Amino acid sequence: MNLSRPDRRERLASLAAEYALGTSPPRVRRRLAGIARRDPVVAAALAEWERRIAVLGEGAPGVTPPPRVWRSITARLGLVTAEAPRIAWWDRLGLWRGLAAASFVVAMALGVMQLARLPAPAAPPLVVVLAGSDARPAIIATAARGERYLTMKTVVDTAPPRGKAFELWALPTAGAPRSLGVIPVGAVVEVPLQAPAGESLANIPALAVSLEPAGGSPTGAPTGPVLYSGKVERMY
Amino acid sequence: MNDAARDAAATAPAERSARLAALLARVALADQGAFAELYRLTAPHLYGVALRILRNASAAEDILQEAWVSIWHHAGGYDAAKSQALTWLTSIVRNRSLDRLRRREIDVVEPTGDDDAPDIDFPADEPSPVDLLLAGADARSLRDCVDVLEPGPKQAIALAFFHGLSHGELARHLDEPLGTVKSWVRRGLEKLKRCLDGAGVTR
Repeated sequence: MNLSRPDRRERLASLAAEYALGTSPPRVRRRLAGIARRDPVVAAALAEWERRIAVLGEGAPGVTPPPRVWRSITARLGLVTAEAPRIAWWDRLGLWRGLAAASFVVAMALGVMQLARLPAPAAPPLVVVLAGSDARPAIIATAARGERYLTMKTVVDTAPPRGKAFELWALPTAGAPRSLGVIPVGAVVEVPLQAPAGESLANIPALAVSLEPAGGSPTGAPTGPVLYSGKVERMY
Repeated sequence: MNDAARDAAATAPAERSARLAALLARVALADQGAFAELYRLTAPHLYGVALRILRNASAAEDILQEAWVSIWHHAGGYDAAKSQALTWLTSIVRNRSLDRLRRREIDVVEPTGDDDAPDIDFPADEPSPVDLLLAGADARSLRDCVDVLEPGPKQAIALAFFHGLSHGELARHLDEPLGTVKSWVRRGLEKLKRCLDGAGVTR
């Protein structure tokens, strides 16, 4: 049956109405859905009725799904996002609580650095331990006050997926994050700074790493999930 | 309602709609942050839709998962010129829920005598389907369009729309002949179409 013929317009409209409402018998539902995939006239008729009737459903109360639903979705898609963010992440109180919780691991991380024989200055004056949501250190950033680069040492097996990049952000006390650039891939890498570290990070209480498209965020603001964050510890 | 209030009522959904459309466009570019945000904003509505139709939390969770996996993969197929983002998302969840419901009905051997069929239980703490219909209409200043429906057709359409009742289930639940219920639904939909189109809903 060719439903898109002009003389069958009325028949199509009534089938589409019952489809959108949900009262079509299962066999008719399947056939209509199948035809709509290859016939744009039928697809448009279904969409038109769905649009019309959707308005009437918007007053029904929503029900928050259990958190396991989101976890399963991201797991099935292999996404890194751990949780649906509530608000802009840099405004999130939890992040700062997380930072406070993470800072106690600095001493431990310094120990890790010694073990890893980082090419660190004799007395590292500036240390950032970037940890994930589990508070385990993942990347340690260090710089001498006068150095124009941050040395980033990966302490867990972490690398961006193909086509993605880790981007480093400075989180000022107020305002939006400022990009410090894409972190090169490697166990120990350097991220150049525009000014000596002491100046560059003067009013920066914390750094964060987000997952972005290759080449970095297209918008200048973080678009992907924040994977790691850490407080800037000044040892001077 | 005066013009200013009507404008305010109309702007809020338009703004929300533009925001959801922008998020969907970013999801099409595999933006995980946008995906999470879209989920946060719409999952409660969508879960409610699935729950009301399937009346089973675990089945509704399954549908929600399948739907969002599909949304991630097919967000590029969304055309903001053709439908609102929430409508597009809701259709995905409603259609999957209805397919699941009908499949379940086929799997269960239905009793042949209609009188033996168990009635359908709805959650007692939720407004009746007709109230839900009226709430949706009120939110868009479309109360008149629901009020044009006679009580029988109104109830039949509300039950089918929110709870996915088939013609046969409607006849049993409303205790009316199948033919009557079918014609209620058909004529009710025609009336709705005239009124909603007159109010510019499909534009």
